[in-house]
Amino acid sequence: MAHPQIAVFARLADQNAKPVRKIEGQKTLLGRTMHAIAYDEIHDEFVVPQQFAQAILTFRGDANGEVPPIRVIQGSNTRLEAPDRLAVDAVHNEIYVPEGHVLVFDRRANGNVAPIRVIESKEARMNAGAVAADPLNDLIIVSTGGGFGSGGGGTRFLVFDRMSSGDTKPKLSLSGPRSLGGPFSVYPPKKLIIATNRPTGEHLSGPDSYLGIWSYEKGGDNPPLWRIAGPNGILEMPRGTTLDVKNKSIIMSDKRLNSVLTFYFPEMF
Amino acid sequence: MAKGSRSEKRVGLFLAMSAVVGMAVFLASFNEGSIGASALSRKPTGQAQLVSAVPLPNVDGEMCQWVPASASEGGSLYAALLQRQEERAAATFVGTKDYPSMRPVRWIRDPYAAFSAVAVDPINNEVVMTDENLFQIMVYDRTTNTPPTAAMSEPKRVIAGLHTKIEFQCGLYIDPKNGDIYAVNNDTVDTLVIFDRNAKGDVPPTREVYTPHGTFGIAVDEQAEEMFLTLQHDSAMIVMRKYAQGDEAPLRLLQGDATGLADPHGIALDTKNGWIFIANHGAVSSRRPLDPGEKPERENWPLERSQAVPGSGRSLPPSIVVHDIKAKGNARPLRVIQGPKTQFNWPTGLAIDEERGELFVANDMGNSILVFNVTDSGDVAPKRVIKGPKTYLASPTGVWVDKKNNEVWAANFMNHSATVYPLDASGDVAPKRIIRSGPLDQPALGIGNPHPVAYDTKREQILVPN
Repeated sequence: MAHPQIAVFARLADQNAKPVRKIEGQKTLLGRTMHAIAYDEIHDEFVVPQQFAQAILTFRGDANGEVPPIRVIQGSNTRLEAPDRLAVDAVHNEIYVPEGHVLVFDRRANGNVAPIRVIESKEARMNAGAVAADPLNDLIIVSTGGGFGSGGGGTRFLVFDRMSSGDTKPKLSLSGPRSLGGPFSVYPPKKLIIATNRPTGEHLSGPDSYLGIWSYEKGGDNPPLWRIAGPNGILEMPRGTTLDVKNKSIIMSDKRLNSVLTFYFPEMF
Repeated sequence: MAKGSRSEKRVGLFLAMSAVVGMAVFLASFNEGSIGASALSRKPTGQAQLVSAVPLPNVDGEMCQWVPASASEGGSLYAALLQRQEERAAATFVGTKDYPSMRPVRWIRDPYAAFSAVAVDPINNEVVMTDENLFQIMVYDRTTNTPPTAAMSEPKRVIAGLHTKIEFQCGLYIDPKNGDIYAVNNDTVDTLVIFDRNAKGDVPPTREVYTPHGTFGIAVDEQAEEMFLTLQHDSAMIVMRKYAQGDEAPLRLLQGDATGLADPHGIALDTKNGWIFIANHGAVSSRRPLDPGEKPERENWPLERSQAVPGSGRSLPPSIVVHDIKAKGNARPLRVIQGPKTQFNWPTGLAIDEERGELFVANDMGNSILVFNVTDSGDVAPKRVIKGPKTYLASPTGVWVDKKNNEVWAANFMNHSATVYPLDASGDVAPKRIIRSGPLDQPALGIGNPHPVAYDTKREQILVPN
């Protein structure tokens, strides 16, 4: 992408509404390939990965313009390789970074710090690509397989106790999208995973794109509870999701549409 | 003990948030379009007022469609999307509630082209722009000048659609001999696509070259018939035959800690002096060599992120590194332009005027075009700066020197425009001409491959990184 940025839009922004603020510029240390962003509502901060510089950047919630991050996790002790996705558990003050295994950092860490735990699972052949935190049930949910044009190997979600460490068997393993579109979100009160299914292989767009919702109440090869805006809908190459719980909405991105869409879906909440 | 109590309170806060959902839905029903409380207490003011707002029914049938200006050209992204959606066939899961026709209640998108790169075809008197927003290559007459009262200028030709393999293009080159268009896909496609200058609509590229992921800038040495490409993800540069095809291997690779490459973007050549100039944003990590017995994907292929040395990442100041035109391996730069006097703030596109010995820099976040001598080194101030409100520069990411007409062009990513100036322009100067892809009063969103999204519950805002 020509221009890295974090554009911030009002909840009711529609069509080409102007962003209310942007975080951009050299001092921000941002780069392209921000494949995750987590807002921490307890501490009013947001966190993004910087893949090229192997860093985790934390900004104030009201950051605006060319502002530096307030904390940077980076350096030889971090074990960061190509941080692409992440999740924050604001209740338990932890940041999770999937790098095949999952590196766990203290949320308040700054500088060249080691992870406080590493979660692996040889038995489950964990190849963690994305992660979400469930502080309510004290869980973390890890996606493995699926995306990046693998031809439809299928995504599995592995559910771990939050305090897992080392080689750990997941509590649950459940199926998900055939090809995970991007970072996913969870709704802990009902133990729901909200994720997208993207076209497989080299396709830039495809009819099997949809927004799906799965339960992580129990494991197994269970179909999604709901599918929205597809298959054969308006989505072309869906990516990440997030929730606006108060307004019972799912917000998601679509790469081929190069846009952000909000679905009102009270049935899920 | 105290820590545990705090955690319990925070979990409680989470549950409380869930408990107020009913109230939130009630309030949201007003926000989403029913008659608001303010309408009930309306008083005469002499101004236009909202009388009522009625939500549109959620239907599967016709609705207002988004039609970009270029849709009439045929072969646009929009046309391709429509065709694909019509061709789709249903598939179902047992036990799944399906809402395939559900429409979003809101849809943030920029309907106008966002120019990321610009290049001039001096023989055919045309100017070409890549559009990173709607995935198009747009060709205009070089002398097009959008009047202030016009919404936009229509291009002469548009190349767009799924067959074109165009997505998120940032690098652009025009073959001065025949007008062929070389356009670099920066993300998601990993292919350099080359089109005949007369290509139009949803057509496959005339030629394709498979490139490493995150290829950004392009420059060509016409005499040597070599093509230079910068690679963001791997902080590297490869050189290929100009007429390379398919999965042909690069001729040379420049990569390593000594090279000074760090999230490289634009590239320009000074063939007169035998120098390469590469602009860097500054983020980089080291690579470990392949293990004995391991082979790269192709000869001279960069060490990719799987070879990253854990914890070696650095966030360096921006720079322009100067290398010998035949540099390869882990070569040190001949010179580095870097430091606060340079005014660099995400330096992105580069162009060279060999005759005058000048280097032009599209300084994205400085909203400026910086001009240096090609011999400059270290922390040096630019000799000229085009910057200010009259210039209409807004996050310029592409720059092109048109020697035939003594002009310098900028692709402005943040205001739907390309602007052109005299080659010796300096200061706060108005452009000679402006080509706009959208109305003056419409904001450019700058969205590019929105991958994750987050919701700021405190401010009720949506965070969208590129």
